[in-house]
Amino acid sequence: MDIINQVEQLLEQEKVDIFLGYREIDGHLIPHGFTRENMDELRDLRVSDQRYSLEKIATHLAEKDPELKIGIIARECNQRALNLLYTWNQLKPENIETITVNCCPSKLKHHSDCSYLEPGKTGDVKKKQGVDPNTNPAGFMESYNGTQRFSRWMYEFSKCIKCYGCRNICPVCFCTECSLEHPDLVEPGNLPPEVPIFHLVRAVHMAGRCIDCGLCEEACPAEIPLRLLYREMNRIVSDVFDYRPGEGLEKSPFTMIGDKVTLEPKPMDAQGEK
Amino acid sequence: MNCKFVPSICSYCGTGCGVLFEVIDGRINSTVPNKSYPVNQGKLCIKGWNLHEYINSFMRLKAPLIKEDGRFQKAAWNEAVNHAARNFSRIRDESGPDSIGVLVSAKVTNEENYLAQKFARATIGTNNVDHCARL
Repeated sequence: MDIINQVEQLLEQEKVDIFLGYREIDGHLIPHGFTRENMDELRDLRVSDQRYSLEKIATHLAEKDPELKIGIIARECNQRALNLLYTWNQLKPENIETITVNCCPSKLKHHSDCSYLEPGKTGDVKKKQGVDPNTNPAGFMESYNGTQRFSRWMYEFSKCIKCYGCRNICPVCFCTECSLEHPDLVEPGNLPPEVPIFHLVRAVHMAGRCIDCGLCEEACPAEIPLRLLYREMNRIVSDVFDYRPGEGLEKSPFTMIGDKVTLEPKPMDAQGEK
Repeated sequence: MNCKFVPSICSYCGTGCGVLFEVIDGRINSTVPNKSYPVNQGKLCIKGWNLHEYINSFMRLKAPLIKEDGRFQKAAWNEAVNHAARNFSRIRDESGPDSIGVLVSAKVTNEENYLAQKFARATIGTNNVDHCARL
C-alpha cells in the first residue's frame, strides 16, 4: 500500500490529527502538516531526499497541544531522535505514529540515503590543519597527540561564523532555557562567547544525547566536522556506560531529574572486552 | 491545529537566502533554511535563523507614524504620503534639490530600484542616489 493511502487511513481512523510529511512547492520539497480538514492536499504528499527535523516540528506542536496525535514520516535517524525525545519526556510515545520509509540508496549502502555514507573530498588545507570529516573518531584519536588534536580542532572552530544553526536545527536540543539565551551568562548587546567555549560546551551537552543524524554538520556554513566531534563524545559514553542514544527507550545515564539517577558505569567485564 | 511551512526569502541582506517559516495556527513559530535552495543550500547566518523574532516583535511598526509636537502619532497611509510629499517639496524649494538623497535597497526588485532613481532624478532633480550594496 502506498504511503498516501496509509496516511489517509491514519487520518480517517483518527489515529492521528496531523501528519508531518513533505510536499512540493515551487520545486522545493518542504515539510507540511497534513490534516483531516484538508484531505485533498494528501495528493501532494512526498517522501523527500532533503531531511528536515520533523520530530522537532512535532515537539513544537506538542508544546501547544500536549494531547495532539501526530503522525510522522520517519527514517532511521528520525526514529532515533523520537526515541530520545520519548525518554526525555519531550513527546509522548502513545501520541506519535510513524510511517517508516527507506533511506534512499547510496553507492556504499543500500536502503540508505545518508549523504555521509558517501564521503566528500577533503581539501589540502583541511588535511594539513583541520579535521578530515571522513576519518573515524578512533582513528583520529590515534593518529594525533593531544596538542595536534587541539590545534586541528581550533582551526575548525575558528571558522565558526556564530550562526548557532547547529543548535537551532538539532532535534535533541530542547532545553527550555538555553544557556546561550540566558542574560546572566551571555549578556544581551555583548559579543557571543569566544571560540571554542560554545563548541566545547555544546559537545559536552551532546554526550548521551546526540543521535548522530548529522543535521548540524549539514547546516554548518563553515563546514566544521561536528558529527565527528559528537561521535567521539558518544564513543566514550558508549564505552563507559554502554549507552547509545536513541537506539532504544532506555534512559540516558545522564538523566538527573526523575525517579532515579542512572549514572552507573557498565559492568567491568564488558569494559575489558575492548 | 494546522502546521505548514511557507517558503520565503530572507529579508536582511542582498544575498537572498531561501528560508522556510514554520507557521502553526497562523503564527510564525520558527525559521529554518530551505535545504534545496541554490543560494544558501540549507545554511543560514544568525540573522536568518532568527527572522521570526522581528516578525512577531511587539515593537514592529504596523502603521505609518507622523511626528507631531515631538511625539509619533499613528496615521493613515494617504496622510503619511501627503505629509512626506509636502515636506520634500518644501525642503527642495528652500534648500535646492541636492539637499535630498535617495537610498535604494538590495532587497527590492530591479523595477522598484529603477523607479526610486527615476524619482530622485526626474522628480526631485538630484543625482544623490546610493545603494546599500555599495557599502
